[in-house]
Amino acid sequence: MYAIEVNNLKKYYPKKIPFPFRKVEWIEAVKGISFKVKKGELFGFLGPNGAGKTTTIKMLTTLLEPTDGSARILGYDIRENTREIRRRINLVAEGERTLYWRLSGYENLKYFARIYYVSKEEERERIESLLKLVGLWEKRNDLVMNYSRGMKQRLAIAKALVNDPEVLFLDEPTLGLDVQSSIFVREFVRKLVDEQGKTVLLTTHYMAEAEQLCDRIAIIDHGKIIALDTPDNLKKLVMNEDAVEIRLKGNVPEETPWRLAIVERDMESNVTVLRGPVDEEELPKVVEWLVRRKAKIISVEQKEPTLEDVFIRLTGRGLRD
Amino acid sequence: MILSAVVEKEFRMFFRYPLRVISSILVGIVFLLQFVFFGQAVLGGRYSALLEVSTGMGDYPTYALIGYVLWWVSVSPMEAYVWGVRRELQRGTFEMNILSPAKIVELLSGLAISWLLMDSVLMMIVFAIGAVIFAIPLTLLIILKSLPIVVASLIAFLGFGFVFAGLVMMLKNIGPFAQIFEFAMLFFSGVFFPLNVMPKAMIAFSKLFPLTHAAAVVRGLFVGKGYLEVWGEIAWLLVLIPVYWGIGYLIFKWAERITRVIGYGGY
Repeated sequence: MYAIEVNNLKKYYPKKIPFPFRKVEWIEAVKGISFKVKKGELFGFLGPNGAGKTTTIKMLTTLLEPTDGSARILGYDIRENTREIRRRINLVAEGERTLYWRLSGYENLKYFARIYYVSKEEERERIESLLKLVGLWEKRNDLVMNYSRGMKQRLAIAKALVNDPEVLFLDEPTLGLDVQSSIFVREFVRKLVDEQGKTVLLTTHYMAEAEQLCDRIAIIDHGKIIALDTPDNLKKLVMNEDAVEIRLKGNVPEETPWRLAIVERDMESNVTVLRGPVDEEELPKVVEWLVRRKAKIISVEQKEPTLEDVFIRLTGRGLRD
Repeated sequence: MILSAVVEKEFRMFFRYPLRVISSILVGIVFLLQFVFFGQAVLGGRYSALLEVSTGMGDYPTYALIGYVLWWVSVSPMEAYVWGVRRELQRGTFEMNILSPAKIVELLSGLAISWLLMDSVLMMIVFAIGAVIFAIPLTLLIILKSLPIVVASLIAFLGFGFVFAGLVMMLKNIGPFAQIFEFAMLFFSGVFFPLNVMPKAMIAFSKLFPLTHAAAVVRGLFVGKGYLEVWGEIAWLLVLIPVYWGIGYLIFKWAERITRVIGYGGY
């Protein structure tokens, strides 16, 4: 049995509240995706903002009703068996506002333990071990509002483990975190899979995160899975292509005749990074073309192919476009 | 267990800030004082024979204090659903609650009971202060006799407020509408003035509000009447309890279905 089985899952959002007798237009957010996740696997959903990652997670965690298709979590149907699923899963949602800031870390976990029906006998022991696990035991009595962003995320993870879930969903778990906190979260998630055998589905738009953490990755764009494989196999798609990264300052041409995509744009320093498969013969032409358009080139580097290149090859765009 | 978890959480967050508690009590007293003084100014004094003829209770401060305290408590489940749920949505904690295996009805009821209890505590203090300021004649027997009616009223108010529980998940910004409703209740339930001054159609409409009957029964008990003498109002209250719970539940289930399509979302 698979931990997660998804078959042609679709989600359309109404533009307005669908009251009876009201004509409503629908927006397609997820356009029929299918995949399976094995028990004890760390599965990643990689895609740009608005690709349908969060919508998929919300459907799989029973927070949203799918428009069509089906999905099973641990053998339970997401439409019919919501309570059975909710007992066995948990979610680390995107953003830091998923906790009660006016409660302490301990009080937050106590509240969530209770609404997950954790018995009184187990409650204290479990909260203590979770807070120690995420390194917040010393700060357990501090109000969450006084926690740093990284501490809040660690508490959110502890909260998501309060019911000892078999399947854990993480939606952009390192978004907005500092480097140190991101490393902690990634290592912690990997340990959950390797040492505790939990199944994890995480969404991210950080390719390095997906590449480093996931056993398999589904690349999602415009509500469709456009590739699904192990990170190594995905990279084989661009193995024979030379990835070139060009840093520019100031004005950047919106489109180039080559498959170059904007992968980074720093508004403060006004630096833009273009990346794409450009071979040695073509490179001088690219540089000349950019110079003619008054682009200020800071650097040109040849890079090892990454998932970003896979995404560019499949979509013609960068992940952060 | 779910109810007690929600109540404990809400109490912790509310009473952790003493200034908030003090300000709620002060607002309650100031609001009460201005209405009582205004009423006395219009009536030409504390006691009104006209009021006694139409309501059975001639002492205006007692009349207003009972109506006011019950009104405040009666709107608290509605406030809990509208503002409490909205606050959870703003915090981003609402979806985290929905995600748990606890039934959403239990979670929301816990929220409403919490606010009802918190407001009851605040209003007991306001009532006690009001009783001292206006020298309200109180006996232990009156309080004991009023208790079952107050409890029945609270159950009715919870059902009445439940109508809003589903709507707020779906519409999210119905706060201003709910406020209009709250003040309509103040107007239609005879909190500060007797209902018989209103046109007949409005009097008939006022019967639909549980507060109308709750206030009438408690006022009757305060002037020494027995349950049998106010049985008509008690019957209304008992009929309205299942009616509002039924309507609230149906609206809630419908709204919940729609919300699962559009998403619980946040702000």
